Amino acid sequence: MEYASDFAIQTRGLTKKFGQVQALNDLDLKVPRHSIFGFLGPNGAGKTTTMKILLGLTEPTSGVGEIFGHDIVAESLAIRERIGYLPQHPRFIEYMTARENLIFSANFYFRGPQAKIRERCDEMLELVGLTGKADRPIKGFSGGEKQRLGIALAQINDPDLLILDEPASSLDPIGRQAVLDIMADLRERSTIFYSTHILDDVQRVSDAVAILNQGKVVASGPIGQILNGKDGLVYQVGVKGPTDRLEDRLSELSWVKNTTVKEQKDSSLWQISVSDEAAAESTLLRHILDDQRLTVTEFSRKEYELEEAFMNIVKGDSDGHKS
Amino acid sequence: MGTSLDLERIKERRALRGFTNLFRKENQAWWGTRRWWINAILWSGMLGGLVLVMLYILPPLAAATGDPNVAEAGGQAAFGLLMAQQVFFELGTLAVAIGVIVLFQDTIVNERQSGLTEWLLAKPVARRSYVLSKLCASLLVVLAVLIALPALFTYMFLSVRAGSFFPPGAFLGGLGVMVVNSVFYLTLTLVLGTFFTTRPPLLGIALGAVLGGNLLASFIKPLLYVTPWMLPKVGSLVAGGQPVPDGMLWPSLITSVVWSILFVLVALMKFERTEF
Repeated sequence: MEYASDFAIQTRGLTKKFGQVQALNDLDLKVPRHSIFGFLGPNGAGKTTTMKILLGLTEPTSGVGEIFGHDIVAESLAIRERIGYLPQHPRFIEYMTARENLIFSANFYFRGPQAKIRERCDEMLELVGLTGKADRPIKGFSGGEKQRLGIALAQINDPDLLILDEPASSLDPIGRQAVLDIMADLRERSTIFYSTHILDDVQRVSDAVAILNQGKVVASGPIGQILNGKDGLVYQVGVKGPTDRLEDRLSELSWVKNTTVKEQKDSSLWQISVSDEAAAESTLLRHILDDQRLTVTEFSRKEYELEEAFMNIVKGDSDGHKS
Repeated sequence: MGTSLDLERIKERRALRGFTNLFRKENQAWWGTRRWWINAILWSGMLGGLVLVMLYILPPLAAATGDPNVAEAGGQAAFGLLMAQQVFFELGTLAVAIGVIVLFQDTIVNERQSGLTEWLLAKPVARRSYVLSKLCASLLVVLAVLIALPALFTYMFLSVRAGSFFPPGAFLGGLGVMVVNSVFYLTLTLVLGTFFTTRPPLLGIALGAVLGGNLLASFIKPLLYVTPWMLPKVGSLVAGGQPVPDGMLWPSLITSVVWSILFVLVALMKFERTEF
């Protein structure tokens, strides 16, 4: 199906209040089509509320949102035809087998023919590696198997958008890997919008992320951009020798945003935040070495781990709220 | 994934989108599991057993103690028939009402608590389909398992004891009153399920309505005419072919039907606005 917008999900000023509690505060979100989009945030940040609003389970207090160009409130039914949803704790019809659950789910989207619906269910079982357990009662399934069945159910209608709420949070490393592999397999066909606490997973499979804090998006963009942290591009330079003139020399460079120094035993570690990658790449080291008294022991571009970037962003935002 | 391309997608945005599928699921929860026959045995055994006690055990005991009602009724068989019919239509109507509340108290509450409702409503399903599928499937169970089957046994026992067919018109009339009463409590249970997310308040209100209703009405008589609380007595009189006093039959029947319709409408409106 073709859509006019480049974004699968777009919200503007989405706000949700539960009594006095502000769950979402002016949420602006743009999820590019065919991306695996990680939705991060501390507990209570509003991730699940956002998902529920997108699914039409809850109405926003104010603001607007669109999924594939359809209004999330007025055209919810049309949206839900094209969405697959995996809740944080997947639920099934307990007295049905895995296959029966899939057929039941498929019947909400497809009229038939029934033989084709069964074929589609078999494909989904195969995708999540549950073919051998298709006709067993669900109550005997492990947590990982239930999660995989949940993904199969979310995918049964061949959705253009998959919304997964903490898809791997309750799984062991093998189960988590299986779920991530399935998500990667689905990338070509669907946009995947998922929330998680496991930042390792996000770094492994996501194309883009949004970080939510206190109901507001505090950072959003491609994963590489987020990994650069709020200070942008940072170079890490180990320096030996008298550095009394270095800070002044660096501050004369227009593309140096700020510097921080950490004194070590017989050297100092400088973190230099820059706005012009090309200029820094070609001349930063030269500028430092212009001072003949200095020796550079280390020169590298700082690679943030997502966890570090996440903590910086969320902590920075929370501090900002307090001050 | 070529298969999905060959599948015919449901496109129309009907007011009852998803109803058939949900109704099938609700039916499977009853008729596809052992629930139905356990309840069939329980209700038929309980109500049929009571009827048999009234037909064959109570009359000789009453006669032995010199109960004047035996002679007044025209003998032990006639006394047994009268008592059996009264027990089935009066006590049975109350018992079925309580059974309806107990059996269907969690039909919505359970799924809301477990998150299943949320999962179902994330699919292209109209919310009214969810409520109505539960109502229709529950109604089917009430009519078939709680009323029709025990009634069939009761009719058989009454006819055997009478030595001829018990008047079918009167029996069906009494049964109709029992159905109206049961539907009232079913819809009450359903509407309460849309308001509460836990069982205690639901059970408290619904059972309070059945058990405390008559007590309340003994203080405020007009309540009898705008509630179903008079229906067990009315059903018994109708089934026994006895005249129903003026103003006793239609007001309580009509108001019970009106209440039931109102409960369904309120349940639909409430559920439409519920946030998950």
